[in-house]
Amino acid sequence: MKDIPVLRVVTKITIPIILLFAMYVQFHGDYGPGGGFQAGVIFAAAFILYGLVFGTSAVRQVVSPGILRLLTALGLLLFAGVGILTMLLGGDYLDYNTLGQDPLHGQHLGIFLVELGVGITVAAVMIIFFLAFAGRRD
Amino acid sequence: MLTLVTIALLAAMGMALIRAIKGPTVYDRILASNTFSTKTVLMISVLGFLTGESEVYLDIALMYALVGFIVTVAVLKVSEFGDLGQSRPDSGENRQ
Repeated sequence: MKDIPVLRVVTKITIPIILLFAMYVQFHGDYGPGGGFQAGVIFAAAFILYGLVFGTSAVRQVVSPGILRLLTALGLLLFAGVGILTMLLGGDYLDYNTLGQDPLHGQHLGIFLVELGVGITVAAVMIIFFLAFAGRRD
Repeated sequence: MLTLVTIALLAAMGMALIRAIKGPTVYDRILASNTFSTKTVLMISVLGFLTGESEVYLDIALMYALVGFIVTVAVLKVSEFGDLGQSRPDSGENRQ
């Protein structure tokens, strides 16, 4: 579909905005609508749009499947690692109060890190889904 | 005033939905669903001002506008190419 000029230009303009909005949803999720899962899906939607217009092989050139698999594990590791870290610091699993010098600061940092892990994993898994189901006939 | 706008938007969305269901060709349906998604963006914005939490709802409306574009591109690609991942048109057995 990359031989259609309107679609190509609009896609190239829209993809940075979608990625920026995904970052906004990710890091502003404490105050507005959003969170890790939604931000991950929005982030993956940009790659899916790129894959729809330029083909799945173009997406594979941007993010190789090996890196995607690594990112899937990395997000989960971040999530579980925060939980283990709070246990090492003397609290329960995912007890954010122990992370900072005061409970409010700890809660903020804990939510931030856990949501980042969720976002990375969801974005990577969504792109893997798209590549797996859309590229079957290639 | 905002209630009136909501009712008008609902009527427009209903008409677009009727066209999407009845539409004889696939282009009618795609155009109707695109219109429906645009109307949904407006509807979310109006609802935001109606409830007084406009900054929260405007974020959602922005998101819906971006995703609605992707949905339209995806439906167009499936109806034209028969597959989401292909970069070239196929021989034509999947075309309407």
